Parts: sequence; structure tokens; C-alpha cells
Amino acid sequence: MTKRMWMALISLAGLFLGIYLTLYHYGYVGSLVCGVSSCETVQSSRWSMFLGVPVATWGAGFYVVMLALSLAGMQDRFAYSRGLALGMVALAAWGVIFTAWLNYLEAFVIHAWCEWCLGSAAMVLVLFLLAVFDWRELRAAESVDGL
Amino acid sequence: MAKKRVEAGRGRKPGVVKSAKKPGANRAFYMIIGAIAVLGIAALTYVSTRPKTGTTINPYDSTLPKVASQGYVMGSPAAPIEVVEFGDFECPQCGRFATLTEPDIRTRLVDSGRIRFRFIDFPLDMHRNTWNASRAAACADEQGKFWQMHDAIFANQDRWNTEATDNPDKVLKEIGKTVVPNADQFNQCVDTKKTQAKIQAHWELATARHLPGTPTFLIGDQQLPQFLGYDDFKKLVDDAIAKGGPKDAAPLGDTSKAASLKKGE
Repeated sequence: MTKRMWMALISLAGLFLGIYLTLYHYGYVGSLVCGVSSCETVQSSRWSMFLGVPVATWGAGFYVVMLALSLAGMQDRFAYSRGLALGMVALAAWGVIFTAWLNYLEAFVIHAWCEWCLGSAAMVLVLFLLAVFDWRELRAAESVDGL
Repeated sequence: MAKKRVEAGRGRKPGVVKSAKKPGANRAFYMIIGAIAVLGIAALTYVSTRPKTGTTINPYDSTLPKVASQGYVMGSPAAPIEVVEFGDFECPQCGRFATLTEPDIRTRLVDSGRIRFRFIDFPLDMHRNTWNASRAAACADEQGKFWQMHDAIFANQDRWNTEATDNPDKVLKEIGKTVVPNADQFNQCVDTKKTQAKIQAHWELATARHLPGTPTFLIGDQQLPQFLGYDDFKKLVDDAIAKGGPKDAAPLGDTSKAASLKKGE
């Protein structure tokens, strides 16, 4: 499978995770399956909202856009699009920065870790790496083409 | 020719891209993405519709006559400050605090007369069995055994919580039997939900403060919605005592004071 296929798969899984945490935030689903985790502490903290929207919903939105870009990138029309490849790198980079900020809050401010958030952080990091490798591959292809 | 180079440059052998367009080549991708979609939708449907293990339940009964109760107090009335914990018996972090931090607090701060400690129930909607635990603890209080029951409930959290059972009262009665002198009276109290109004009074104290979660501690002029280890807890106590009070964190029924505490957190 190509990198973009992997990105689409990861994005879809992340989307479901984002939806789940959003439903949890609004009380539509019960306690998280977290054992002795601190998901409740994280989810009930004031940092679980960003610009009036739950952080989980921002995450779901991120994964929707990434999924759409990945699926578009699998089409012939966008297979060699610099804009699309760069867009994926930029979006994933923003995701990494936002996630890093959330992890910082968990570690040093809230003093609690949520496994689901950490799972999402890992997915965002993999998406970023895949996007960078995809971009480098495209650039390599262009340099070969330019010979 | 250029197209071939591009394809080669992307690390694909000639023909790979072409073959990728065949229906069979992408079959794995579509099968996996289909499986993720089906599993994801099924999981979301399950967690949002399961009747018992996930449904938020708040058994608040507005028809019950209101009672005045401000939690449970341990320690000397002459202590320089009072520390308040708003706790949820089913909250893992409250359990962690009760089992790891609280023993030291009792021996080093409460028994020595440095603080008075107050526990107030804040049963959260996200925990299905927590009201049962709060009622059972209040039933033990009728026999002067609140703190013993408090400790036993937290120590056995994994036996009666939402994940463990659909019948928490049965387990709580087993726990209560080891704590209270009169098990029959305790069982009757649990079965009749005799202490429901008391827990509601505690819940109202917590909701009036718009607390973000549990455990939340009031220490001096600080409101701390988080787990605290002993060292952090003691430092906050020392600071509060050094500031000279207030002796009580805030008048518990005074929500205007609670609002100012929230701003200053």
C-alpha cells in the first residue's frame, strides 16, 4: 500500500477516536474504558476546550481533512500535486504542534494522562512522518523528471 | 517519458502505478478501510447505546425534602485551617488520593491538629454506581463509621464500580458488613435509599461551585481540581497556615465566595 493509503487508514481511525471523545465530552457516552487512567481528569479540565470547541472535536476535524486529502491524493489527478503534498505536510505539522501543546498541558499543568489522547498523538506523529516522506518522494520524482 | 521518470522517481517500478489502478491491486486498501469504517461505526453505536455500562445516570430526586448537610469532618475544631475535598467514590483519581495520599494526611496533619479535613460527596454523572457508594457511606455514618466505610469503598473500588457490577448495592453491603456494627440496619438503610437526600445536599454544594471535576480540594484560598500527592498537599497546607487562614476555605453555602475562588484558581 502507498503512504497515502496508510494516511487515509490512520485518519479514518483517528476520526472515530475524535468522534468518540467528542461524544464523551458532551456526555452521550459513559465512562471511558481507561482503567486507572486519568481521562476523566483531562476531559473535565478547562483545557479540554479550545476556542469554545472541545479539543476532541478539533481532532475529529483534523482527521476529516487529512482523510479527504489522502483520498484525493490517491486519485490520478492529484497524484503529483505539489500543493496537495505540501498541504498534507503543513496540516500534519500543525497537528503535531497542537498535540505537543496538549501533551505539555497533560504533563505539567493537569498532571494526568489520557491513553486515548496519547493514542491520537501517536497517530498524528505517524501521519506527519508519512506526509514528509510522501513530500520527499514527490520532490525526488520532480528532480528526476528535471534531469 | 517524463511520466515514467516521475513514476520511477516516486520509488515505484515501472508498471506498479499502472497495476495499482487495477481493481485487485487496491483491494487490500478498500477492505481495510471498509473494516475500520464498520468497526468504528459499530463501536460508536455500542458505546452510545449500551444501556447500563455507559449511560449517565443522576438519580437526583427533586421531590425529596431538603436536608442540611455539609459532608463529613475529621479532626480538631481548633485546627488552624479546614481542608475540604469534593470527591466521587467511583473516580479513579479520588481512589488514588484516598489510598496513597490520605493515610499520611491523617497521621501527619489531622492527628497532629494542623488541619481539619472535610469530605463532601460530588457524585459525577459519568459514574453509574457512585451514588450507591455515597449512600452506603452515609448509611455507615449513621453508625459512626463513615471514614472506615470511606476507606473500604475506595480500597474496593474495582469490586463495585460500573465496570465491575450492575448490582453495586450487593457488593457495598458485603463491604459494609465488615465495617458497621449493625449490618441489618445498614442493609435496610442501603435498600431504602434512606440517605439519598443527604447526598443530594452534598451534590448541591459541589454544583453550586461549578467544580470542574473530582477530586477538588479547597485549601486556604486555593481551589485545586486535581489529584495531590502528600508533599504538594502539605506545601499548600503550610502556605495556607502561614497566610493565617481563612480558617475555613469558604462558607460552604456561600456561592459568591465560591465564584471568587474559581476566578483566583
